[in-house]
Amino acid sequence: MRGSNIWRFLKSEPFAVAGGAIYAVIILLAVLADRIAPYNPREILRVNRRIARYVPISPEFWLGTTAAGKDVLSQLIHGARAALEVGITAAVAVVAIGTLLGLLAGYLGGWVDKTVTRVADIVLGLPFLPSMLVLAALTHGGTSTVIITVTALLWPNTARVIRSQVLSLRERAWVEAARVTGCSNARIMFVHVLPQVLPLAALYGSVAIGWAILAEAAASFLGFGDPEVVSWGVMLQDAYANQALSRGAWNWFVPPGLAIVLMVLAGFMISRGSEKLLFPKLGDQ
Amino acid sequence: MARHIAERLGHLLLVLWVVASLTFLMFRLMPGDPTLNFLSPTFNEEMRAALLRGFGLDRPLWEQYLIYLGKLLTGDFGQSFLQNQPVSRLLWDALPNTVVLTLVSLVLAYGFGIVVGAFLAFKRGSVAEGFAIPMALATRAAPEFWLGMLLLALFAFQLGWFPTGGAVSPGGTMGTLTDRLTSGDFWWHLCLPALTLTLFLQGLPLLLMRATMLEVLNDEFITMARMKGLSRWSITMRHAARNALLPVVTAFALGLGASIGGNVVIETVFAWPGIGRVLVTAVQSSDYPLAQGAFIMIAFVLVVMNTVADLAYAALDPRVSVGARK
Amino acid sequence: MWRSLLALTSVLVPSLAIAQTAGDPIRPLTIITQPQAADPREYQAAEIIADSWRKLGLTVNLRPLPGQQFSQVVWYERQRWDVTTWQMVGRPERGDPDELTYNLFVSANAANGYDFVGYMNPDYDKLAQAQRQELNFEKRKALVLQAQEMINEDQPYGFMVHPKNVVAFNKTVWDEKSFVPQAGIGIRSTWSWLNVAPLGAQKDVILNSVAPPTNLNPFNIPGQQGSWATEMVWDRLMRVGPDGLPQPWAAEKVERPDPLTVLVTLRKGMTWSDGKPVTIDDAIFSLQAPGFGDKSPMYKPFVRNIDSVTATGPDTLTIKLKAPDAAFLISSLAKLNLAPKHIWEPIFDDLKNKPQTAESIQEEKPVGSGPFRIVRAALNQEIVLEANPTHWAKPKVNRWIMRIMPNVEASLGALKSGEINFLADYTGDPQILRDLAKANPNIVVSEALDIGFKFLAYNERRPPFDSKGFRRALSAMIDRHLLAEDAWGGAAEPANSWVSPALEAWTAKGIVDRVPGAGSLEAAQKMLKDAGFVLVNGKLHYPAGVKETTAPYN
Repeated sequence: MRGSNIWRFLKSEPFAVAGGAIYAVIILLAVLADRIAPYNPREILRVNRRIARYVPISPEFWLGTTAAGKDVLSQLIHGARAALEVGITAAVAVVAIGTLLGLLAGYLGGWVDKTVTRVADIVLGLPFLPSMLVLAALTHGGTSTVIITVTALLWPNTARVIRSQVLSLRERAWVEAARVTGCSNARIMFVHVLPQVLPLAALYGSVAIGWAILAEAAASFLGFGDPEVVSWGVMLQDAYANQALSRGAWNWFVPPGLAIVLMVLAGFMISRGSEKLLFPKLGDQ
Repeated sequence: MARHIAERLGHLLLVLWVVASLTFLMFRLMPGDPTLNFLSPTFNEEMRAALLRGFGLDRPLWEQYLIYLGKLLTGDFGQSFLQNQPVSRLLWDALPNTVVLTLVSLVLAYGFGIVVGAFLAFKRGSVAEGFAIPMALATRAAPEFWLGMLLLALFAFQLGWFPTGGAVSPGGTMGTLTDRLTSGDFWWHLCLPALTLTLFLQGLPLLLMRATMLEVLNDEFITMARMKGLSRWSITMRHAARNALLPVVTAFALGLGASIGGNVVIETVFAWPGIGRVLVTAVQSSDYPLAQGAFIMIAFVLVVMNTVADLAYAALDPRVSVGARK
Repeated sequence: MWRSLLALTSVLVPSLAIAQTAGDPIRPLTIITQPQAADPREYQAAEIIADSWRKLGLTVNLRPLPGQQFSQVVWYERQRWDVTTWQMVGRPERGDPDELTYNLFVSANAANGYDFVGYMNPDYDKLAQAQRQELNFEKRKALVLQAQEMINEDQPYGFMVHPKNVVAFNKTVWDEKSFVPQAGIGIRSTWSWLNVAPLGAQKDVILNSVAPPTNLNPFNIPGQQGSWATEMVWDRLMRVGPDGLPQPWAAEKVERPDPLTVLVTLRKGMTWSDGKPVTIDDAIFSLQAPGFGDKSPMYKPFVRNIDSVTATGPDTLTIKLKAPDAAFLISSLAKLNLAPKHIWEPIFDDLKNKPQTAESIQEEKPVGSGPFRIVRAALNQEIVLEANPTHWAKPKVNRWIMRIMPNVEASLGALKSGEINFLADYTGDPQILRDLAKANPNIVVSEALDIGFKFLAYNERRPPFDSKGFRRALSAMIDRHLLAEDAWGGAAEPANSWVSPALEAWTAKGIVDRVPGAGSLEAAQKMLKDAGFVLVNGKLHYPAGVKETTAPYN
């Protein structure tokens, strides 16, 4: 692409660019966390023999400290890591399963379609947070539970949309041509149709990252996350449990929430072009 | 159409059954011994066995399952392990609180969203749009409980304008539903949680209304109407809005179903005594029957609302014909 | 060749020596705790302690478990855990040290009872038994002090702190001086509720509770907060007084002519809330019913020592004990509820052939003879009691209302706004409450040292916790003053005994300063070395020849 073309592209999609920039920053933070963070996020910091609790914003602690004497800024930076881990893993899983099932249902039709649609309907009948709650109580909570729940409960949205698209693609001439020349179903699905739906799937992925992070935050807040992991959700739960609200410790509970907002927002903005992605049930016919 | 309804109802029952069964399985597999709630220095194995028998936990799994299904059909959710009361009573006590919270928030959110969304559709490309859309997205991107925390910290703790939690002030009782609805105290306690939920929910109808309005405004039959000489305003009101509303109405129904479950965090932050909070505390104390009952109730509302949304969509949109569905 | 051989040996021998003088590295140890949100202070204390133990060369992990699972593991899976946080709650009956002195450390309780750490010391067993039967106060005190020194020596627990009960009230509603502090409880005592005088229009005590009572049943224990209510709905023959000692209550007179006999004269003129009079048969029934089969497991231990209860007149009864029991008055007569025989005897009869116990029964309108009567009880929301006009110790207030508010912030807000006028159950950050009082001169905060204590329990069934030197080293590294000041924000005092300083009669003065090797890393390391443990490259190993045979907590 020529320079002017790139510039034109960027100008036409300011939201997508902004979203991408936010992600870039978060990825950078996650990768360089150990170098950038001023302290070990788990370390109980001391000031003279006493624990540095609830220190307000100050030169030593740019965002102050928690009730347990840990540095808020360091926790915030390291939280990016957990956010990306959960977000990307869950998003990839949701999109992979959703795309696969949508593809199979849309292309093969018949009982495959019926089964997938039925199962999707049942899954959509399960309320999200309560299910995660119960599953977290079954296992002993933690990020893997969050990822599994998000995957298990959110794939239907992707699957439906992919299925719709596959349905329309199926009738195209080139698919007919492939069939006539003797290509197997599998070959047609995965070699010809799949690449066509991938962009849609990818866009879905960027939204799914957001849902996964919100889910992790909610799970942690309710006490079902993994307290050993430094994540934004755990930071918020920590703050709430230690009555940071009463204390007016805005420096503690505002930044992690903002971080979550930014990251989820970035996902939305990248997929800005296609509103249908955000409201799938109403998009498909 | 009748056939379609019957089909959907059949589907509804199937989903409900599967959800109920899954719930049963999930809870039976849950670790944690409910008899531990009665832990005492004199607790021995014999007593524990007696307790398990009393709860019916000593029978084989399939037998428990059948008993469970049978009881469900009669609306009997069993007895709470911890509270010596029928689960259904506890649930019916809590459900209205959740419903009121959700309905009030949804109505406010959708009212606001529809009006502003329609307004923005007119102001395409304006500054207002450039500001409003990221804001709407941002509220959708924020964790609900965090929004709640912010509002709590500001309006309850700092300014003291609103109570910091609960549904009623001490000394008063939470009487029947009518008592609550006519109690000023109840509404005062409802303000912050409802505001939080409204803030969180308004993004969707706003963007949706705007999007569908834009679509419809460009639609052919609108052009026809304009050619006929109708004013822009009457076009909007009579044709565009009505058509644009369809997806929003569907979203409302879906939103109701989804929110009932999602209220879990809001109810926790504000200590709002609804179904969500019942579920959380029940899960935390391994009170199987109560947790199960709460979960099923939430799932039930969700599934029913999904079906309602589906039927409403089919009924309202003249362009969707039942026969076109494959 | 000799040179190379020499070189070889000079390398091999030392490494052989090291290999021989150190056993396996100690496995990563796990401290299990409640979820952080359940008690942030306790969790923080565990974090601080884990940090300091790492300085000894140990790998320490923290593992919060959800409530039920936590109790399950600690109580029923005694082979499984290394260290756990735990606490003994202060109750008025524990004003006599007997209950804890005996139950916590006597070997008979190791398998299923309260000695869940598995401490087995026959010398201690003898001591605990002796103090239980010694009726002479001075002699008994000496025994209890001796017991505390023995435990200090062996360090089966890493004691942390004695918490303080932090409460607050609105002094425009209540006459400050009318509160009655009880030793080890503070002003949130039954004596306060019976005596507190309203200053203005508000004549109801409205207080909060974090947890709902599980039941309102005289044969069951409803949890800490629930017992505030039940203690007033049902009377007892004796009550623990503000000084921490038992005094006659529903009994006019209680005498102990000899170690095995207790003579009780019942107060006259008492009535049940359903109108019927309280008779000597009711008293006898109340002392016997918990012993009927296994129908009242919570209270059965407290009647176990009763051989017989007989009426000796219309208002008098005689209790014969099986063995001398110094603490009988406080642990039994001040604990057992007076329950109406005409209501409960049929219930017990009915339960004879059923598996349920009396604990599962919940009366619609519970009947008691106490200074308060139940008006309304929605266990999850509120308990409303009203003053009993016919009671001899009629309260000055009209009603006593307990609102269940699990949300700590909400309860603070309620105090501020006047929705409650007494903050009885505050488990949050004490500094916030103090700041609130500073900003609100109507609000008075009261902090009283509690009878209870918080500690880390070392599971002696799992090495290396079976090594006395190891446990002493761990305890030495616990900075109790730091915990009291920082983790508990000053609302606690350092502890090194189960007997709280609030019990002035029984406390071992200065025992906190007598923790072996307290506060000194060098002393702790020396204790480890003396016990045979070896530090290799900063990691702590077992003594020579000892293998790590225990799997880490999972």
